[in-house]
Amino acid sequence: MIDTAYAFGVLIAMALVTFGLRALPFLAARFLQSHPMVQGLGRFLPLAIMTLLLIHTLVGSARDNPTGPWAELVAVATVLALHWWKQQPLLSILAGTALYVLLRN
Amino acid sequence: MTNDPEAPPAPQIPPISVLSLSVPVAMGYVPLGMVFGFLFVQAGAPWWLALVASVLVFAGASQFMMVPMLAAGMPVATIALATLVVNLRHVFYGLSLLDKLPAKPWARWYLVFALTDETYSVLTTLPAGTSTRQMVAVALLNQGWWVLGTLLGAVIGAQAQIGLVGLDFALAALFAVMAVEQWRSANSSAPLWVAISGYAVGWALMPQQALLTAIALSVLVGLFWPAATAPTEPS
Repeated sequence: MIDTAYAFGVLIAMALVTFGLRALPFLAARFLQSHPMVQGLGRFLPLAIMTLLLIHTLVGSARDNPTGPWAELVAVATVLALHWWKQQPLLSILAGTALYVLLRN
Repeated sequence: MTNDPEAPPAPQIPPISVLSLSVPVAMGYVPLGMVFGFLFVQAGAPWWLALVASVLVFAGASQFMMVPMLAAGMPVATIALATLVVNLRHVFYGLSLLDKLPAKPWARWYLVFALTDETYSVLTTLPAGTSTRQMVAVALLNQGWWVLGTLLGAVIGAQAQIGLVGLDFALAALFAVMAVEQWRSANSSAPLWVAISGYAVGWALMPQQALLTAIALSVLVGLFWPAATAPTEPS
């Protein structure tokens, strides 16, 4: 069972960090708008971060999977191809997860 | 807000289209919220704590990320740092909305709080002259879908003892979907290759810190990335 006070601490910390990030441009608008480096970062980071989160999650799943990384690779290739083709987030996520659950059970 | 004396006579979108803008978001948020609520309760949290998370934090990817970390009892500071990394992209969302968000403090700050990937994309598609009430309605509806999904998932998770392995792959699938969308809208695939190489470097140096190393490398490269696209061909 999860300790409630600890969980509350985690959630409040997460809420503050998330709100802080979302509020930062409104507080530091002039600085952020005038710095080409910040804008370059804004154009570069989203794809880089998403790719990293994807790799990191896949590596985590593959390490928990005693039968190797094949199920992860097949499922993620399916999601990537399906989403590139159809661009229906829900369809891609459900189909990929269902395929992965099938492969693992 | 049909008779707002201060607003310029701009064409206002009727409430029905606020709802229709929120429907695609609902189709993503309700099932994903259900997955979050389900996983959090299965990890040992009471159902109402899942609701608290979706009301207070309202950031899908980091809420998913937090479940295994919280279940493992990791330090608050570590989870806060991971949240910072996962939600870092939100820093850049406000930049394009600085002039668009309403000036009324409560409305402005609620919209800032609710600035998820999906709310951001809906707000950026709203026409200029959209009333404060309509903008807040979109954000409230979106968060409502997320909280509703969380509640449903948490209630199901509290009843069911499903032994299915691999349901948490939904998170990897979510990241894959977001990566494809960023990839399609990016005008260069360099960030993708920098990320992959960065992770490989991080893995070779310190497998436990591969993600953090790769993010640091990506930030470093991103700092020297041009702010605007230089025209590649004279036209």
